[in-house]
Formats: sequence, structure tokens, C-alpha cells
Amino acid sequence: MTATEGPLWFLWDPFILYVILVLLAPDVFYIVSRLIAPSRPSRVKRMAFESGQAPIRSALSSFPIEYFPYVIIYIAYAVVAVLVFFSLLAVLEVGVTPLTLMLLTVAAVVSVYAGTRLKVAGGKRG
Amino acid sequence: MVAEQIAQIVTSMPEPLRALFAWIFSEAFVKAAIFPGALFSTVLGMFAVWYERKLLARVMLRVGPLHVGKVSGVLQLVADAIKFLAKELITPSGAIRPLFWTMPSAALILSLLLYAFLPFGAGWIIYPSEIGLLLFFAVLALSPVPILLAAYASGSKYPFIGLVRLALQLFGYEVPLFLALAGVVMMAGSFNIERIVEAQSVVPFVVPQVLGFLVFFIAALAESERVPFDIPTAESEIVFGWQTEYSGAHFVVIQLAAYEKTLALCILGALLYLGGWYGPPIPFLPETVTAPFWVVLKALILFTVMVLIRGAYPRLTIDRVLDLGWRYLIPMALINLLITGFLLYAVRTFAA
Repeated sequence: MTATEGPLWFLWDPFILYVILVLLAPDVFYIVSRLIAPSRPSRVKRMAFESGQAPIRSALSSFPIEYFPYVIIYIAYAVVAVLVFFSLLAVLEVGVTPLTLMLLTVAAVVSVYAGTRLKVAGGKRG
Repeated sequence: MVAEQIAQIVTSMPEPLRALFAWIFSEAFVKAAIFPGALFSTVLGMFAVWYERKLLARVMLRVGPLHVGKVSGVLQLVADAIKFLAKELITPSGAIRPLFWTMPSAALILSLLLYAFLPFGAGWIIYPSEIGLLLFFAVLALSPVPILLAAYASGSKYPFIGLVRLALQLFGYEVPLFLALAGVVMMAGSFNIERIVEAQSVVPFVVPQVLGFLVFFIAALAESERVPFDIPTAESEIVFGWQTEYSGAHFVVIQLAAYEKTLALCILGALLYLGGWYGPPIPFLPETVTAPFWVVLKALILFTVMVLIRGAYPRLTIDRVLDLGWRYLIPMALINLLITGFLLYAVRTFAA
């Protein structure tokens, strides 16, 4: 096709065309909604939903902190994930070596140990 | 004969019309707009909603959608969508307006983008890439961001509680999901999903990687906030969690995004663990048709299991969700990786 070199060449690339269609997809819903939905705003309608009460103070005031330790564990395991990713690249490059097996063993044993020692913050079970 | 006549009609057309026809029948248009692309993914999403409602009703000894549409209420979803689109869109007074309006669309765009990296057969893929699985995971890892911003932008208390729960849940299950996928990559020796499927031509990876498949499936359930893991939207405790302030068209877009993400994960599971497009040959049908058929069928089997789980299990509390993710799934995924490593090492030393 000669059209693949014209100014509309991107229409002949499946990925670019798909991205364009995907970007348009949500707009279809909003345009239809704009056409058929009523618009009668009022102060009461625009109140935040608090089970029928008038909203009290800011919504962003309280933040439960009892599960915060998990955020710290996330940082620890993110490092493990990076380690696994790099050992994956190494495996794809040179195959499984005894060193990779050793690293994986250490990671597995440490994670099992951490799993048995970790206590849930705020949990009532043993 | 018919094809010749069509070709004759097309060549006798004036130039712009002929170019349009050539474009509609081109590989790019068919892939992006019809089969693995836009039309297929949206229709699959709508079918999944209807299928889930129907199957869930059977589990609960109800009938489910029945009256709209000739057969078993197939058009119920269309009716519901029209009803939702006809509702007024309300922006709460405490909301951050630009974020509140754009984030549902961003969630849908990211969910649909996942389909660009999923092959449905040899060559049936929108964006073939050597690092397809990494690209899929990159988009998947981005997908909580618009949801978190949407919850934050609502400026309301229930969405904020949902936001905190969602953040804890999604970030807790991303690590086991990645570690489970790492086992598959290690065994197939490639990040290209097509290569991974081809590596399963003899034995699907669910056999050597049972642990990895379990971890993947549970993490996929949690990532798509399906029932045992639906604390971010728990209807019976925090109204509708992070979606509370979203109504009308916003709600349709958010729900579609959630279902597209779930189905993309089901298809990925079918491709990585259940042997993808390998299945018994069907007589009189070419492989270009049977390959997508097997992929979609296997994905729907996974989705059926998800729906049955929804019908059978109650919601987990947040401490149990976090416990399962951090204390059980991550060690399980790492042990699976270790087993995979030893298997590969054994194969290599015996082959040498």
C-alpha cells in the first residue's frame, strides 16, 4: 500500500491505531452521557456522602497507622524483587548457575523465616 | 468468485473511498479495532459482566438477568449502561475537579492498554515485542495510580478509607505477582509472551509451577479487587469504598476498567500457565481461528473459577489480606522460583 508512507502513516500501525482508539473509548461514554443526562446541580446534591449526615470537617483528617509496618516491609521486598529481576536477566544470559541457586535459596529461606516471625499489627489472632 | 466481484467493485471506486476500504481490510485496522483490539475487548468485558451475574445467580439459586433481550437477558447490560449514562454527573463540593473527572478515564485507558501486549495466537498480537511481559507488568503496575488519585480527589471520607485499604492491598500483592511471573520467565527463557507459550507445547507450565500458578491466581484476584479481596469497595461496611462519590458515566467507566483488568489477567494466566493456544485440533477450522478460541476459552475457565470463588467465600478482613500477601504468597513465590531454578539446573547438568 502506498498510503503507509503518506501523512496518515500512523493509521497503518496496529499499536498506534489501538492507542488512539483506547484514548477515545472513555470519551464515548462521557459524550453520550452529556447528551442524555440532566444537569440540575444543587448544594445538597454536591455534599460529600456521609450516610445522610451533613459532612463534618475535612475528609483527609484521619489516617489509620496500624498497618504502617507493612509499608516498611514493602521497601525490604522491593529490594528482593530487584534482586530476583537481575538474577532473571543473568539466567536468560548464561543459564542457571550454582550462584543463582544460592541467592534464590537465601531469599526463600529468609522470606519463610520472616513469614513465621512477622506479627500482624493490630491483629487479634495469634 | 464473490471475492473477485468485491475486488472489482473496490477497484472501480473513486480514490478516497478505495483507500478507506483498503485501510478497513488492512492488518492494522483489523488488529487494532476488531480482534484483539477495541471491539473484542469491550464486547468481552460486557459479556463477562453478564456471565458473572448469570453464574452468580445460579450459585445462589436465583435466575439472574432474564427479561431484557430474547435469550437469558443478554441485553440487560446495554439497558443498565444506558440507565447509568442517563444519570446526572455530580461533582462533590470537596472534590479536586480535574482529577475527579479524568481519573476514571485514565483507569479505563490503562486497563485497555493491557490488551496490546497479549498474543492470541502466532502473530495475533497488536504490539509484538521481545519484552512483552515486562511491558504488560509495567502497565499493570501503573494501573493503581489513577484509582488512588480518583479516591483522593473525591474529597470524602468513605473514599479515603477505601484509598488506604486499596493502597495496602495492591502494593502488597504486586510483589508476589511479579515473583510468580519471574518463575515462568525463568523456565521459558524469554520475556516474549509468544515464546513463553511456545515453550509449553509439550507440558503447560501449570504442571511444573503449581505453586507459582496458585500465587499468580490469588494475586490476580487481589489486584482486580474481586470478592475475597474486595475490602477497598466493601459495600456492607464503607458504602462503596473508593467509588462512593462516582455516579453515572463515571461508574460505567470505572466498572468497565475493573472488568477489563480482570479479564486481561485471566488471559495472561491462560497464556503463561495453561498452555495458551495449544489444544486439541478442531476439524475444518484453520489454526488462525482455533488459536484465539483456545486462549479465550481457557481465560473464561479462569474467570469462571473467580466467579465461583465470589459466590462461595466471604470477604477477608484487612489483617488477613495483608497476612496472606506478605507472610504466605511471597515465600511461596520464592520457593517456586527456587524449585524452578533447581529443575532447570538438573535438566542442564543431565543434558550436558
